[in-house]
Amino acid sequence: MKSLRRFLNRLFNSGTQRAQEERLREEIAEHIALQSEENLRAGLSPVEARRQAMLKFGSVEAMKQDYRAERGLPFFENLLGDLRNALRSISRMPGLAAVIILSLAIGIGVNTTILSWIQLIRLEPLPAVSGASSFLVVEPRTDTGGYPGASWLEYRALQTQLPALRDLLASEMVPFNVGEKGQTERTHGQLVSGNYFSALGLKPAIGRFIRPEEVERPGTEPVIVISYDYWQTRFRGAPEVVGQKLRVNERDLTIIGVAPREFQGTMPPLKFELWAPATMTPALLGGARDLDDRTSRAFSLIGMLKPGATREEAQTEFTTAMVQLTGDYPEANAGITGEILPFWQAPRGPQRLLMTGLAILQGVMLLLLLAVCGNTANLMLARGSTRQREMAVRVALGAGRWRIVSLVLSENMLLALLGAGLGVAMAVWGTTALRIAPMIGAFPIQFQTRVDGLTLAFAILLGVACGLIFSAAPAVHLARLDPQEGLREVSNTPPRSRARKVLMAAEVGLAMVVLIAAALFLQSFRSARQTDPRFRPEGVLLASYDLSGRNPNEASEREFAARLLERLRSLPDVEAAAIATNVPVDLHGIPARTFTVEGRVRIEPGQDRAITNTVTPGYFKVMGILLLEGNDFAEMQDKAAPAQAIVNEEFVRRYLNGADAIGRSLQARARSFTIIGVARNAVYNSFGEPAQPAIYFSYRDVPAMQGELHLKTRTGNETALTSEARAVLRDVDPMLPLYDVRTFSQHIERNLYLRRIPARMFAVLGPLLLGLAAIGIYAVVSYAVARRTKEIGLRLAFGATSGRVVLQIIRENLGVIIWGTAIGWVLALVISVRVITKGPVDVPVFIGVPAILLSVATLACWLPARRASRIDPMAALRHE
Amino acid sequence: MKQKTEVQQGTLALMVLKTLDVLGPLHGYGLARRIEQISGDLLAVNQGTLYPVLLRLEHEGAIASQWGASENNRRARFYRLTQQGRKQLQVERKDWEQTASIIGRFFEVKTEDLS
Repeated sequence: MKSLRRFLNRLFNSGTQRAQEERLREEIAEHIALQSEENLRAGLSPVEARRQAMLKFGSVEAMKQDYRAERGLPFFENLLGDLRNALRSISRMPGLAAVIILSLAIGIGVNTTILSWIQLIRLEPLPAVSGASSFLVVEPRTDTGGYPGASWLEYRALQTQLPALRDLLASEMVPFNVGEKGQTERTHGQLVSGNYFSALGLKPAIGRFIRPEEVERPGTEPVIVISYDYWQTRFRGAPEVVGQKLRVNERDLTIIGVAPREFQGTMPPLKFELWAPATMTPALLGGARDLDDRTSRAFSLIGMLKPGATREEAQTEFTTAMVQLTGDYPEANAGITGEILPFWQAPRGPQRLLMTGLAILQGVMLLLLLAVCGNTANLMLARGSTRQREMAVRVALGAGRWRIVSLVLSENMLLALLGAGLGVAMAVWGTTALRIAPMIGAFPIQFQTRVDGLTLAFAILLGVACGLIFSAAPAVHLARLDPQEGLREVSNTPPRSRARKVLMAAEVGLAMVVLIAAALFLQSFRSARQTDPRFRPEGVLLASYDLSGRNPNEASEREFAARLLERLRSLPDVEAAAIATNVPVDLHGIPARTFTVEGRVRIEPGQDRAITNTVTPGYFKVMGILLLEGNDFAEMQDKAAPAQAIVNEEFVRRYLNGADAIGRSLQARARSFTIIGVARNAVYNSFGEPAQPAIYFSYRDVPAMQGELHLKTRTGNETALTSEARAVLRDVDPMLPLYDVRTFSQHIERNLYLRRIPARMFAVLGPLLLGLAAIGIYAVVSYAVARRTKEIGLRLAFGATSGRVVLQIIRENLGVIIWGTAIGWVLALVISVRVITKGPVDVPVFIGVPAILLSVATLACWLPARRASRIDPMAALRHE
Repeated sequence: MKQKTEVQQGTLALMVLKTLDVLGPLHGYGLARRIEQISGDLLAVNQGTLYPVLLRLEHEGAIASQWGASENNRRARFYRLTQQGRKQLQVERKDWEQTASIIGRFFEVKTEDLS
């Protein structure tokens, strides 16, 4: 207690140094005055009285030392002094400091941003839900490896059969049409189990949440919870919203509450706006039998372990439960087992994919930061050497080794922390920029990344680590300095610093790795953009409709599509129109189905699978996909023709060995089709994919509730078709919204979104790193050259040509650089083959990048070398 | 020699506390004079050493100081004992007496007491 108080007082005093000094001075004066007076009274002369008084007081300076030591904290005062010194010395090199701080800021900022993504996916997958990372996904799994979801009855059974889980939550993703007839708006929501909100531990922003008893009986509780954003944008945040009616899928639901601000549902990164009781399914989805049909697997289940329970226990219970369900309901559950996985490994979300990508990105970016550190260390080392005299003077005046080290350290730490601070600012900017929700496919998605305590700590840690890394070499170098040596004339040729060369090699090597990674990434992105998709997206408008609120049957679906197409084709600006269930290059991918085909006997176990799309006649014309053999599908109204299928070239090559396909029968989707045509291969899921076997079915045979309209314009301006298409749909069905209207090119761009972020990152960081490496090399070489001015002058005086001098300097430094490049190149090759592409080596990248790096390095060596070779030999020799 | 000053520092603090306890608030010179009177030559030279001790005691909260007017109406810093200082004095006095008595007993020890 006493010592704490003393410490605080001393800490405070460190700040009020001047006032304290003044007080002591005054006290001493008073003391001496009083003593002198007394001596006067004792009969001494005034001069002698004062002299005696001073003698008696003792050494004022020694006492002041003691006093000061007692008053403040020498450690902190030294630190403050160091900091002040550091600030001063940084302000003397604004250019260098700016390069260092900016490069560190970029390195730290990028790393922090990536960590905030990893944090979001791995640690806080459900915004607004605390402890969400410990949720597990409970996924039924088919024997073919698919994850179809759980049925409602299955959910009710599992609720009691998984005692290792605390709560089991069910939710179904549904598109809602919200609003009055004729002006509905498509909004995405979830139908949820009764324990949904309570198990997530959420508190409503206002109102209340769905109660368990409201999810007991089907369709009797027409209530709905809205998202915070929805509340703000549609109701301007008015508190009266609770109790109001919301028209959803032509039913009135009462709004009972608003979810917390950041809550976006339980299927990140999808962003939902509405939550209704799962038992409202039949009422909202036109009599859908999701609640009592065991084959309707629409629900996603998540749960959290009970304290003390393990995932293995839960998995065992789940397996047992699924085996029992298979026994009880063989027609619905045959071949279905289940898996319990951590949330971030959810098989039906993008999390797993993103995590792998982000982990690689983070690794590469940490290497980038390390390269930046190497660069900074080299710059500081070069600078530190020019300060040898200063340090030598300090040592000569009695500064200890630790004082020198702490001086260097404080200067570098200040730089590192300034860089980290700026980096955090960049990360804050970066994460907010990424939060802006794009629509991907038909779904709004949102990544609620943010900079919080953890990411902040990470940034500071990186800053400190960087500071330590690039302080080490200069600090050791300066602390080992012999003051006598240092005080001598500088041009005494010093031993060539091995540290600088090793650092230069390391930096160049790291830069090599990062640059190759960046180039590989950009290359794959660019090739993705330039590959011929083998269909023609130009002039095509896409739009979606969904009949799921209508409780449609096959006949009504077919009829609707036929009527819509007929009306659309009659529009003057429409050259061709078609409907398909899937659009290529969609982020969600196109489903693959199992099939058997006449004339193919599979030897290996398992089943053949091919990508399937269901399209109307005219689809191949709209898409510009050539039919190599056979004909287009029969017209929609044709009732005579048998069920038809069209396959692609790859299908014929792979499964029929190139034999004639037309007329063969193909079994899929539990029925038989006749192959009537062969289409050219196209891109289906992603650019640059290997050729995929594909089967097209006809809408006439297997109609669907959802459809993607494909409209090919006659005029070249496909967006102009939007209003016409809307008008046609309103004519055909006034309640049905046309949603997700976009041009095909927009569709492609949007789905490249996730790949574009890292591509942009690399496109900016690559050249930047190259620039930094060049600056680093330049600094090292020009420093080394400056130290050898005399030697160079001598050689010039003896008749060496400036060309030879330049060549020699370049050769010396380039040797080191080539070593670094070679090591980095091998490392990059290993990483590329083992981790990134796992495939063939991209030869142009592995030749081009080192070529660029080496030419830049040569230039960075040549500039200072040329300057050195132009000195006047006489001047150089007089340099001393 | 050095050891001697260290011992002095500790005893000096105790003397300051005791003097302030008996005489009430004093300025630095006053304190130095009183201690000199009582202790003889301890402060005959190096009166200045008093000031770091005063500062430490003030940091510990045993004494407090404020500006006031000295006998000849000049500005001087007056030190007084705080409540905490009084307690500290009691504790240290007890410690000191205990130490003194133990050491005293050791000095009185004769050879036969230890055999």
